[in-house]
Amino acid sequence: MASRIWPLVKLVSKVTIAGGAVYVTYDSGLLGSSEQGSVVLEKAKVAVPPALEEWIKYFGLEVRMCKLLIWPITWYLGVRWTISSLSEAPTRASEYTSQGLQYVKDLIK
Amino acid sequence: MSEKELGKKLDRCLADGVVKLGTGLGLGIVFSVLFFKRRTWPITLFSGAGLGMAYANCQHDLRSHYLLHTKEQACEGRPQKT
Repeated sequence: MASRIWPLVKLVSKVTIAGGAVYVTYDSGLLGSSEQGSVVLEKAKVAVPPALEEWIKYFGLEVRMCKLLIWPITWYLGVRWTISSLSEAPTRASEYTSQGLQYVKDLIK
Repeated sequence: MSEKELGKKLDRCLADGVVKLGTGLGLGIVFSVLFFKRRTWPITLFSGAGLGMAYANCQHDLRSHYLLHTKEQACEGRPQKT
Protein backbone atom coordinates (compact mmCIF):
# COMPACT_ATOMS: atom_id res chain seq x y z
CA MET A 1 0.00 0.00 0.00
CA ALA A 2 2.74 2.47 0.99
CA SER A 3 4.80 1.58 -2.09
CA ARG A 4 1.84 2.56 -4.27
CA ILE A 5 1.18 5.84 -2.48
CA TRP A 6 4.81 6.99 -2.21
CA PRO A 7 5.36 7.84 -5.94
CA LEU A 8 2.06 9.74 -5.90
CA VAL A 9 3.15 11.69 -2.81
CA LYS A 10 6.47 12.50 -4.49
CA LEU A 11 4.71 13.72 -7.65
CA VAL A 12 2.23 15.84 -5.69
CA SER A 13 5.00 17.44 -3.63
CA LYS A 14 7.06 18.20 -6.75
CA VAL A 15 4.05 19.74 -8.51
CA THR A 16 3.29 21.79 -5.37
CA ILE A 17 6.84 23.13 -5.16
CA ALA A 18 7.00 23.94 -8.88
CA GLY A 19 3.55 25.53 -8.82
CA GLY A 20 4.49 27.57 -5.75
CA ALA A 21 7.66 28.82 -7.46
CA VAL A 22 5.69 29.87 -10.55
CA TYR A 23 3.03 31.57 -8.40
CA VAL A 24 5.63 33.49 -6.36
CA THR A 25 7.35 34.77 -9.51
CA TYR A 26 4.01 35.79 -11.04
CA ASP A 27 2.78 37.45 -7.83
CA SER A 28 5.97 39.46 -7.34
CA GLY A 29 5.64 40.96 -10.84
CA LEU A 30 8.69 39.28 -12.33
CA LEU A 31 6.70 38.06 -15.34
CA GLY A 32 4.85 41.33 -15.94
CA SER A 33 5.57 44.46 -17.98
CA SER A 34 8.92 46.24 -18.25
CA GLU A 35 7.86 48.83 -15.63
CA GLN A 36 7.19 46.07 -13.12
CA GLY A 37 10.55 44.48 -13.96
CA SER A 38 12.45 47.70 -13.34
CA VAL A 39 10.51 48.22 -10.06
CA VAL A 40 11.56 44.72 -8.93
CA LEU A 41 15.17 45.49 -9.85
CA GLU A 42 15.03 48.69 -7.80
CA LYS A 43 13.71 46.72 -4.80
CA ALA A 44 16.50 44.16 -5.25
CA LYS A 45 19.06 46.99 -5.46
CA VAL A 46 17.87 48.21 -2.06
CA ALA A 47 17.43 44.83 -0.38
CA VAL A 48 20.33 42.66 -1.63
CA PRO A 49 23.49 44.60 -0.60
CA PRO A 50 22.59 44.88 3.14
CA ALA A 51 21.68 41.17 3.24
CA LEU A 52 24.94 40.23 1.48
CA GLU A 53 26.96 42.44 3.82
CA GLU A 54 25.37 40.70 6.83
CA TRP A 55 26.30 37.28 5.44
CA ILE A 56 29.83 38.49 4.64
CA LYS A 57 30.28 39.77 8.20
CA TYR A 58 28.87 36.48 9.55
CA PHE A 59 31.52 34.51 7.67
CA GLY A 60 34.26 37.03 8.49
CA LEU A 61 35.24 37.74 4.87
CA GLU A 62 36.26 41.08 3.40
CA VAL A 63 34.78 41.57 -0.06
CA ARG A 64 34.33 44.76 -2.04
CA MET A 65 30.78 45.19 -3.29
CA CYS A 66 30.49 46.37 -6.86
CA LYS A 67 27.41 48.32 -7.78
CA LEU A 68 26.38 45.86 -10.46
CA LEU A 69 22.66 46.32 -9.96
CA ILE A 70 22.92 49.95 -11.07
CA TRP A 71 24.43 48.95 -14.41
CA PRO A 72 21.25 48.20 -16.44
CA ILE A 73 19.50 51.32 -15.22
CA THR A 74 22.22 53.79 -16.22
CA TRP A 75 23.59 51.98 -19.26
CA TYR A 76 22.08 54.36 -21.80
CA LEU A 77 23.25 57.40 -19.81
CA GLY A 78 26.77 55.95 -19.98
CA VAL A 79 26.48 55.36 -23.72
CA ARG A 80 25.26 58.92 -24.25
CA TRP A 81 28.07 60.37 -22.12
CA THR A 82 30.70 58.36 -24.01
CA ILE A 83 29.45 59.40 -27.45
CA SER A 84 29.15 63.08 -26.47
CA SER A 85 32.69 62.99 -25.01
CA LEU A 86 34.02 61.43 -28.21
CA SER A 87 32.29 64.08 -30.33
CA GLU A 88 33.71 66.89 -28.18
CA ALA A 89 37.20 65.36 -28.01
CA PRO A 90 38.70 67.06 -31.14
CA THR A 91 37.42 70.52 -30.07
CA ARG A 92 38.78 70.10 -26.55
CA ALA A 93 42.08 68.71 -27.84
CA SER A 94 42.59 71.78 -30.07
CA GLU A 95 41.66 74.10 -27.16
CA TYR A 96 44.14 72.44 -24.80
CA THR A 97 46.80 72.45 -27.53
CA SER A 98 46.35 76.18 -28.17
CA GLN A 99 46.39 76.84 -24.41
CA GLY A 100 49.60 74.80 -24.09
CA LEU A 101 51.26 76.65 -26.98
CA GLN A 102 50.25 80.00 -25.49
CA TYR A 103 51.74 78.91 -22.13
CA VAL A 104 55.01 77.90 -23.80
CA LYS A 105 55.16 81.23 -25.71
CA ASP A 106 54.62 83.14 -22.45
CA LEU A 107 57.42 81.12 -20.83
CA ILE A 108 59.80 81.86 -23.70
CA LYS A 109 59.05 85.60 -23.51
CA MET B 1 9.79 60.49 -28.82
CA SER B 2 12.47 62.61 -27.17
CA GLU B 3 15.98 61.28 -26.65
CA LYS B 4 15.56 61.37 -22.87
CA GLU B 5 12.38 59.29 -23.08
CA LEU B 6 14.08 56.86 -25.48
CA GLY B 7 17.01 56.51 -23.10
CA LYS B 8 14.73 55.76 -20.16
CA LYS B 9 12.83 53.18 -22.21
CA LEU B 10 16.05 51.46 -23.31
CA ASP B 11 17.34 51.38 -19.72
CA ARG B 12 14.02 49.92 -18.62
CA CYS B 13 14.27 47.31 -21.40
CA LEU B 14 17.73 46.32 -20.23
CA ALA B 15 16.63 46.09 -16.58
CA ASP B 16 13.60 44.03 -17.58
CA GLY B 17 15.83 41.73 -19.65
CA VAL B 18 18.10 41.10 -16.68
CA VAL B 19 15.12 40.40 -14.39
CA LYS B 20 13.40 38.04 -16.81
CA LEU B 21 16.62 36.20 -17.66
CA GLY B 22 17.25 35.62 -13.96
CA THR B 23 13.64 34.54 -13.40
CA GLY B 24 13.77 32.12 -16.33
CA LEU B 25 17.07 30.74 -15.08
CA GLY B 26 15.66 30.20 -11.59
CA LEU B 27 12.46 28.56 -12.79
CA GLY B 28 14.46 26.45 -15.25
CA ILE B 29 16.69 25.20 -12.44
CA VAL B 30 13.63 24.37 -10.30
CA PHE B 31 11.92 22.43 -13.10
CA SER B 32 15.15 20.75 -14.16
CA VAL B 33 15.83 19.48 -10.65
CA LEU B 34 12.24 18.44 -9.91
CA PHE B 35 11.04 16.90 -13.17
CA PHE B 36 13.83 16.47 -15.71
CA LYS B 37 16.62 14.76 -13.75
CA ARG B 38 18.97 17.77 -13.68
CA ARG B 39 19.27 18.11 -17.45
CA THR B 40 20.38 21.35 -19.07
CA TRP B 41 17.71 21.90 -21.69
CA PRO B 42 14.90 23.09 -19.34
CA ILE B 43 17.25 25.77 -17.98
CA THR B 44 18.07 26.91 -21.52
CA LEU B 45 14.41 26.80 -22.51
CA PHE B 46 13.16 28.85 -19.58
CA SER B 47 16.02 31.38 -19.86
CA GLY B 48 15.27 31.79 -23.56
CA ALA B 49 11.57 32.22 -22.81
CA GLY B 50 12.41 34.91 -20.26
CA LEU B 51 14.58 36.76 -22.76
CA GLY B 52 11.82 36.47 -25.36
CA MET B 53 9.28 37.95 -22.94
CA ALA B 54 11.65 40.82 -22.21
CA TYR B 55 12.12 41.40 -25.96
CA ALA B 56 8.36 41.45 -26.52
CA ASN B 57 7.85 43.90 -23.64
CA CYS B 58 10.58 46.14 -25.00
CA GLN B 59 9.11 46.05 -28.49
CA HIS B 60 5.67 46.99 -27.15
CA ASP B 61 7.15 49.75 -24.98
CA LEU B 62 9.05 51.32 -27.88
CA ARG B 63 6.09 51.08 -30.25
CA SER B 64 3.48 52.37 -27.78
CA HIS B 65 4.50 55.99 -28.38
CA TYR B 66 3.45 55.74 -32.04
CA LEU B 67 0.20 53.80 -31.57
CA LEU B 68 -3.21 55.45 -31.67
CA HIS B 69 -5.13 54.99 -28.43
CA THR B 70 -8.89 54.87 -27.91
CA LYS B 71 -10.78 57.27 -25.64
CA GLU B 72 -11.03 54.54 -22.97
CA GLN B 73 -7.26 54.18 -22.89
CA ALA B 74 -6.95 57.98 -22.78
CA CYS B 75 -9.14 57.99 -19.67
CA GLU B 76 -6.74 55.45 -18.11
CA GLY B 77 -3.97 58.00 -18.53
CA ARG B 78 -2.22 56.88 -21.70
CA PRO B 79 -1.23 59.61 -24.21
CA GLN B 80 -3.71 60.15 -27.02
CA LYS B 81 -2.71 61.09 -30.58
CA THR B 82 -4.71 63.98 -32.09
